[in-house]
Amino acid sequence: MSTLLRKWQLPFLMLGPFIILISLFFFLPVVLITVLAFTGMDSSMQWAFNGLSNFKHFINDPNIWHILRNTFTYVFFTLLINVFFGLVLGILTTYFIQKESVGLLFRTLWMLPRITPPVVYVLLWLWFFDPSQYGVLNSIRALMHLSPVKWLASNPMTAIILANGLIGASYGMIIFSSAIKSIPGDLFQAARVDGASQWAIIKDIIIPAVRWPLMFVTLWQLLSLLTSYEYILLLTKGGPLYSSEVLALYSYHKAFQNFEYGYGSALALVLVVVALIMSAILLKIFGMNKLMGSSRIE
Amino acid sequence: MKKTTVCLFSTLILGMSVLTGCSQNAISGDSQKDGSNVITIVAQTAGAEKTRVDNLVKASEKLNEELKAEGKNVQVKVETKDFEGSWDDYAKQFMLAFKAKKEPDIYATGHENIGWLADGHYIQPLDEMKNSKAYSDVFPTLWNSVTYKGKTWGVLQDTEVRPVFYNKDILKKMGWTDQQINDLPEKVKKGEFTLDDMTKLAEEAKAKGFVQYGIVHRPVDGPDFQALAYDFGDKLYDSAENKIVFDKKAVAKQLNYYYDIAQKKLIPDQLTSMEWKNVHKLVVNGKTLFYYGGIWNVFNWSQDNYHDQLGKVDANWVNQHLGMMLIPAADKGGKPVTLSHPFVYTVSSQTKHPDLVKRLLELVADPKLQVDHDVKTYHLPVTKSAAEDPEFKGNVTLGHASYMLDYTTFLPNLEKFPKYSKDVFNAIQAVELGKQNPDAALKDLEVQLKNDLGDQLEIVE
Repeated sequence: MSTLLRKWQLPFLMLGPFIILISLFFFLPVVLITVLAFTGMDSSMQWAFNGLSNFKHFINDPNIWHILRNTFTYVFFTLLINVFFGLVLGILTTYFIQKESVGLLFRTLWMLPRITPPVVYVLLWLWFFDPSQYGVLNSIRALMHLSPVKWLASNPMTAIILANGLIGASYGMIIFSSAIKSIPGDLFQAARVDGASQWAIIKDIIIPAVRWPLMFVTLWQLLSLLTSYEYILLLTKGGPLYSSEVLALYSYHKAFQNFEYGYGSALALVLVVVALIMSAILLKIFGMNKLMGSSRIE
Repeated sequence: MKKTTVCLFSTLILGMSVLTGCSQNAISGDSQKDGSNVITIVAQTAGAEKTRVDNLVKASEKLNEELKAEGKNVQVKVETKDFEGSWDDYAKQFMLAFKAKKEPDIYATGHENIGWLADGHYIQPLDEMKNSKAYSDVFPTLWNSVTYKGKTWGVLQDTEVRPVFYNKDILKKMGWTDQQINDLPEKVKKGEFTLDDMTKLAEEAKAKGFVQYGIVHRPVDGPDFQALAYDFGDKLYDSAENKIVFDKKAVAKQLNYYYDIAQKKLIPDQLTSMEWKNVHKLVVNGKTLFYYGGIWNVFNWSQDNYHDQLGKVDANWVNQHLGMMLIPAADKGGKPVTLSHPFVYTVSSQTKHPDLVKRLLELVADPKLQVDHDVKTYHLPVTKSAAEDPEFKGNVTLGHASYMLDYTTFLPNLEKFPKYSKDVFNAIQAVELGKQNPDAALKDLEVQLKNDLGDQLEIVE
């Protein structure tokens, strides 16, 4: 018994605080949301259990299909930018720019928005899309004597996809860069000796080599995007009307603006279930076992 | 193993103390040098009108004198808090503070919040205050705004009216004489100048190039939109059933009105996405003929540099360039309307000193204190004695607007009313943006309201 205790003593000591924190800040909220989703808790903050009412409300909510469609559009296109732009940046800064210091400089530049507070980052976008003639895009139009356009109000979804997509690309860039770096250099040399074009090198060497990181980034970003809303809240508040409202933001609005805590939790629970299903499907498709296995190169 | 247990235990303790760190309630009792106990009463308000709580501090001075004269070993200290942020956040902060037992004893808020505050047992009934001497000469109609489910849940702090501001300079450019301009409010009062006339005049001003826009209204959800509903005959609330009334004919007219002014390009594109400061700028810089505003806007315009050349503008400037009228009647000979949104003091149901709080609320109703707040922030008093005060009567803006109280309306206090208001605002936004015509918007609004309000909704075909 004491041998067993001794064996687990250190891991337990090291992991204990984190297990406590994860339980408190991640696991407990999920349990709370699940319970709350079956209550009609409103501004009076009473635990009034109401069975499946919130879910019936969800199905009958006249905005819900529009919001689900927005969520799909937002997640799909942002993910596309996140992954492909991340890959392009990764290839550019590690394969095409061979000099390590220059590549590092570019990667650092792309990391800047990620370390910038969201409010500041969004302020820059707001300035970029400002509807007056002083906005960046509108001042370019003014050079061509064109009248200012209300970019954010007329294209809110494009704006939030661009803002989220560009900031998210830096994550993929870092993962892909390190994966590309781990490709043995002689593979590239051999390809060049054989007369392979740059495109052939990318298609036949780099992309197969980063297949697993590519899948991991896709899965990770997909789950993050499903539940993210802070940039949308700061940029468009989900409007005008419901044109940039996504499910996570709708849940926030219902709970903290309309004080429908029960319904807001039900919406969040739907998101949790969607995220779990998506994870299961993607892990199955991607083959998690192979992903966790040893590298194919080497 | 002992070490591990100690480590784990201390981590737990540390974690728990971080989480619960500040949950201890502030000690409200303290003693002064003269040996008397000091009781702290916390009062909170939101927005720029800090006199709402500062007046309570002044009232506490009088209360302390009274307590001393009564030989009581107690003195009251009022601690003021003000909140800067949205009204939703102000409400949310109170809910959470209440649950943590850290809420203010006196919570100043718009009267329409009484429904959810009372239903959630956050505040206590104050029926006895209605009979107190201090509030004996309150304009009787104002008590309706704090009555909910047969009880009085707050005392009135101030009220206001929401006039339509019209630009005198533009009317002059359109060939109106000074006499005609000054008679406009009277014509509106008599129902001779209708909402249609207002739209036509705005069209004319725009067509002749005197203004950029004919009409501007608030950019975010708020009571003004419901004033229009009242103008079209909506009664909004059925007090016998305690339900919100969705009068489809009146709401259809309400939506048609906003659709019409948007289609005629009388309002700015995307008005509902504009920032407040830009709305104020349009008004004081003469870019719109009419503005659905509030009397307190005169205070706002004196606080910030909205005028392109002059910066801040005072009440005299406003009176010279802008006039105020009621919202014109929908039909010829009909009754014009305005809407008041009394601000009220509510008392936490958890307060430890209900008697002292109530005495404080009686003292704060002093006409001098009311008038001080009203002339500083351009609001109207709630008692007749304050309305008779020479300083109030002599005020150039307030003196011109107090007659509007005879035409005033209020929002229902019902708990779910804010949801109704938001849904109607969304429908207005949809028709103004041209995303829906009024028929489609009305249909969607009905579905939305049924879903959001359930059995608290009464539909009138």
